[in-house]
Amino acid sequence: MPKKKSLFRITNKIRTLRFFAEEMTQQKLAEIVGVSRQTIIAIEADKYSPSLDLAFRIAQAFDVSIGEVFEYKLKVDG
Amino acid sequence: MSYQEKKTLANMLTGVVLLVIYCFYAWNKFSAQAAPIDDLAYWARLILIFLIIEVCAFIVIQILFHILFSIGIAVREKIHNPDRDEKNLDKIINLEMVEDERDKLIEMKSMRWGYIVVGLSFGASLITLAAGVPTLVMLNIMFIAFSFSSILDGSVQLYYLRRGL
Repeated sequence: MPKKKSLFRITNKIRTLRFFAEEMTQQKLAEIVGVSRQTIIAIEADKYSPSLDLAFRIAQAFDVSIGEVFEYKLKVDG
Repeated sequence: MSYQEKKTLANMLTGVVLLVIYCFYAWNKFSAQAAPIDDLAYWARLILIFLIIEVCAFIVIQILFHILFSIGIAVREKIHNPDRDEKNLDKIINLEMVEDERDKLIEMKSMRWGYIVVGLSFGASLITLAAGVPTLVMLNIMFIAFSFSSILDGSVQLYYLRRGL
């Protein structure tokens, strides 16, 4: 059975949150949450959706709720 | 290029070199008729020896790769931050080599392709047996497919690392 494509996508505000956290570097955030910088780059570019555990750790790093970092948005094509 | 990409490339290159060496060696033995085609014990021994060489080569390459990678980071840090102490340097090296959930997911996704190749090669080797082709061909199809699957595994891994999941 073909995989049903989701109409929604996960977006994030990590770049904005980094800016407000005194321009925190991707490397610094990666160190805090315990992943590689490449993973942070991929998440920021919406190329990788993190696990719930990692999503919570990222939210914790900025001291905000998970909903303030990630959003489940309707895809807008074209 | 990230640590994961470099590690995958090192593994792939080792796999390619060993596969080429095996194909060259086996073809020379076969064409020189050094061993009879139906002497399966000889060919099995040859494949076993190459398997052992392959495992040892992968271990040695991994050790060398990690040593060289660490030296590379240490040199880079010494040039850019000469006053950095050993403890900080160790921390930086460990951070560069971190393996996270994304890397594991990529590894699993790429392994799936490797399994497909091995599965198909098993089917192909059974077909050759059913068609009456010497068992030697079946043995070689299996061995080459195993080596090829690890190379394909690496290529898919590189693709996912570059393009994202």
